Amino acid sequence: MQDPRKTRFVRIPQSYLDLVNQVFEIERKTQQLKEDHSIQRNINRLKSLIESELFASNEGVGLTYHDPLGEPYSQTRTDCEASIAGNVTEDLEIVEVIKPIIFCNELGNDFGIKKIIQKAVIVAASCNKK
Amino acid sequence: MENTINFGIDLGTTNSAIAKFIKGEVVVFTNPQDFGRSTLPSVVSFRKDKIMIGNKAKEFLEKDPKSVVGAFKRKMGTAESFKIKALNETKTPVDLSALVLKELKTFVNTGDSLESVVITIPASFDTIQSNATKEAGAQAGFKQVILLQEPIAASLAYANMKKKMDMKEGLWLVYDLGGGTFDVALVEIKNGEMKVIDHEGNNFLGGVDFDRMIVEKLLIPKIEEEYSFSSLESDMKSASGKYNAKYYVLLRRAEEAKILLSAKSSADIVIDGFEDERGNDVDFEVTITRSEFNDLIKSAIDSTTDMIKKILTNKSLKSTDIQFTLMVGGSTYIPYVRQHVQEVLQIPTNCEIDPTTAIAIGAAYYAATKPKEFNNVVQARKENAISIKPAYQKASKEKEELFAARISGNVEGLFYRITREDGGFDTGLKKLSERINEDLPLVEDAFNFFKLTVYDELNNIVETNMDLIGINSGFAISGQPIPEDICLEVDDGDNPGQTRLLLVFQKNSVLPLKRSITFPLNKTLSKESSDQVIRINILEGPHLSPPEANKGIGYMEISGDKLKKDVSKGSDIEITITMTESRDLSVSAYLNMADQEFKEIFNPKKRHTSIEYLKEQVVDLSEKLDEEIEHATEKEDYEIAGALTKLKKEMEQVEDETETLALDDESDNRYKLEDRKRKIAQEISAATQNKRVQLAKEHYFEIKEECEKMIDENGNDYERQVFNGIVEKEEIFLTTNSPLKIQEKADELDGIIRQIQWRIPEFLVDIFSWLKRDSAKMNDQNVVKYLIEIGESAIENQQWDRLKDVNYSLFDQLPRTSREQLNTRIGFGS
Repeated sequence: MQDPRKTRFVRIPQSYLDLVNQVFEIERKTQQLKEDHSIQRNINRLKSLIESELFASNEGVGLTYHDPLGEPYSQTRTDCEASIAGNVTEDLEIVEVIKPIIFCNELGNDFGIKKIIQKAVIVAASCNKK
Repeated sequence: MENTINFGIDLGTTNSAIAKFIKGEVVVFTNPQDFGRSTLPSVVSFRKDKIMIGNKAKEFLEKDPKSVVGAFKRKMGTAESFKIKALNETKTPVDLSALVLKELKTFVNTGDSLESVVITIPASFDTIQSNATKEAGAQAGFKQVILLQEPIAASLAYANMKKKMDMKEGLWLVYDLGGGTFDVALVEIKNGEMKVIDHEGNNFLGGVDFDRMIVEKLLIPKIEEEYSFSSLESDMKSASGKYNAKYYVLLRRAEEAKILLSAKSSADIVIDGFEDERGNDVDFEVTITRSEFNDLIKSAIDSTTDMIKKILTNKSLKSTDIQFTLMVGGSTYIPYVRQHVQEVLQIPTNCEIDPTTAIAIGAAYYAATKPKEFNNVVQARKENAISIKPAYQKASKEKEELFAARISGNVEGLFYRITREDGGFDTGLKKLSERINEDLPLVEDAFNFFKLTVYDELNNIVETNMDLIGINSGFAISGQPIPEDICLEVDDGDNPGQTRLLLVFQKNSVLPLKRSITFPLNKTLSKESSDQVIRINILEGPHLSPPEANKGIGYMEISGDKLKKDVSKGSDIEITITMTESRDLSVSAYLNMADQEFKEIFNPKKRHTSIEYLKEQVVDLSEKLDEEIEHATEKEDYEIAGALTKLKKEMEQVEDETETLALDDESDNRYKLEDRKRKIAQEISAATQNKRVQLAKEHYFEIKEECEKMIDENGNDYERQVFNGIVEKEEIFLTTNSPLKIQEKADELDGIIRQIQWRIPEFLVDIFSWLKRDSAKMNDQNVVKYLIEIGESAIENQQWDRLKDVNYSLFDQLPRTSREQLNTRIGFGS
């Protein structure tokens, strides 16, 4: 059996990441709109293309993103680059996401190993308003 | 064993880096915890149970100054120390620098054990400060520390890049404008010796100040102009202010814009996501031009040139005495900095070295010339024999999983650190004890690997018995693999009237599974018509078999009368197929143009067979059987003809029985007939397999020959590369004995041929003549007439790209029926 840890990750051109960041922004803006998920379908389609088709032939990889908004934040999270707002640094929560976490996964590898190729850029603030 | 030091460290005020000289080249190590970056912020953060160094510590620098320390280099050699609240003890600048140096050790992935290094220091450091730096090196475990002044290191990086180890005698400036500090030094080579003869600096000037200026001087005034705010700036900058979080968002966007302005003449900053005091949504874009930005930073840059003028005056030098100004530090990427310094000083600026890593690189070059004094490298603490007994769930659906371990051996003075292999989690350095517990955050639906590393007090790795910690998160835990391929029947574009299978889920994929596939429809469905249908047929069985040979597990029809509005050919259908862990299949089809979704769930215990579609399939199969018998007889292949003729009787029976089956038959006859039909189809397929493979191979070789010829005559390197890529794998796909696989490759070669053809003038002229002949049938005669005129003129002037466009446009003018006369059965496909 193939060793699941032996994955090959290619260097992803910045323009690919820019594209994913744009899709993320469109998705976030759409979530604020009151519409019957028709735009979300197009976004899902874009996400699916990015995940399994767009970069498949040349790079053999797929890209996915994760929006960490609302998740707890601490110094152990090296998947985010944070600015800390407010006075309190305890019980931090992600309150703004400027860029999402982008993962790269090698297509054809059934082990589901993902590698972070873009850290999220976020602002964290304490949810414990002292 | 290497005899020279080779390792160089830039121990910077804001950022540090480590590089190594390897066989004539210098490699700058990347930060293993910070994807793609080779620098480490010189910031240390303390918590009760752990120490973090670098980016994560920097994030808390401003907000938690009692436990996080940065810029301690400025205090090197002083009696000042930093009170750390979390530890309730003090740390000296030497202690803190040693921690940064130890962290840099973890960047080294070459297996070296670092005993000797070159560390850079500012030109301004006196003897006490220099000795303090040496002490920090010793605390970090280096037995030999050689110091080198930063401007000399930068100059060495430049000299080595130019391969001029012996630079000409003379003077130059090293201008170092980084993220937060500015230094300038006058360097001289005299009698073969390079030395710093004067220097100046400002510890509070750098790139972060420019980001703040963009926000405070450009963005906030523009927001205030457009919207209603009474005290926006203080509400943003004050930690307790209402818009404090937004201030950091703007700082990030300002930084991005600043970087963009180094390459472009203007940059847009989107400001959105909050409301003004009257409840209006703030949502607009501010464009910053390069000249606006230049005006903004002008006075800051002027202050740097003033310092240089002061040095020149002190040393009674004229601009012409200086050869060049070597630009170092990330902020010297800004074009204005480069231009303005050159204009004001009338000394050429030199921007040839990488400004962020130049000092570490120069230090490594210097290190390569210095002999090592300590060669007796002992693998640190190997004798420690630490044994770790871990306990954790290997699979989890939780967001975090508890990792616990019992440690045996002497844990005194040891630390541990757990990092996730994707770079998304780092516990920081924590004291090792006999029992450790950590909550490990998991990335959903992925294998998560964590690494537990034990370090001694000098950050040397202590060997343990610990392997990687592997935790599988998400769906693959209780799932079972599917026993057969799951396929979707689609129209076969290469064989009009025929269908083929598209693989949706491959055999052995683990349940649950979900996939969405989008196709353009190849037929129009009008909303009143009930006889026009789109068929979604999901089958189980090898995806390379003909569709009729596989077992149907889900079937759905969308007829025109179910539609809210007409859907045209070319509009999209999005089909989503989901299979649960208990093998329930659900299919949904969304018609883009009608904005309508059709959904059905198929239970695995119940079969779904449309009698009408079964009838069609049986008729087709019967025809196919007749054709195959005729073909085999013609070719005098009596063995195949005999095998097929034997099937004829059974086929006729199935045909008769299906014909008499009522459309609303409720019995299980339809399933029985479908099974019999499938068996016949499988046997036809098996009997004719060799023939189909042979035909596919012949077709492939014909296309290959044509394609190679075409590439030789008119192809480019890329097309040859694609061609070679296909041909290299020939041995593999030709031996699959799958006609479909071979056809797929022939199609790819055909694609190359078409691509080349559309560049050949003769081909374009032929196509144009053919289209012109058919022009009377075309849609818009005015447009057609105009296009033909352009086409003729393009031929006359040999404008082939133009002719190509004209041909494309004329194709669009062909009536649909002549463009494509596809006999479609399913409604979509390729």
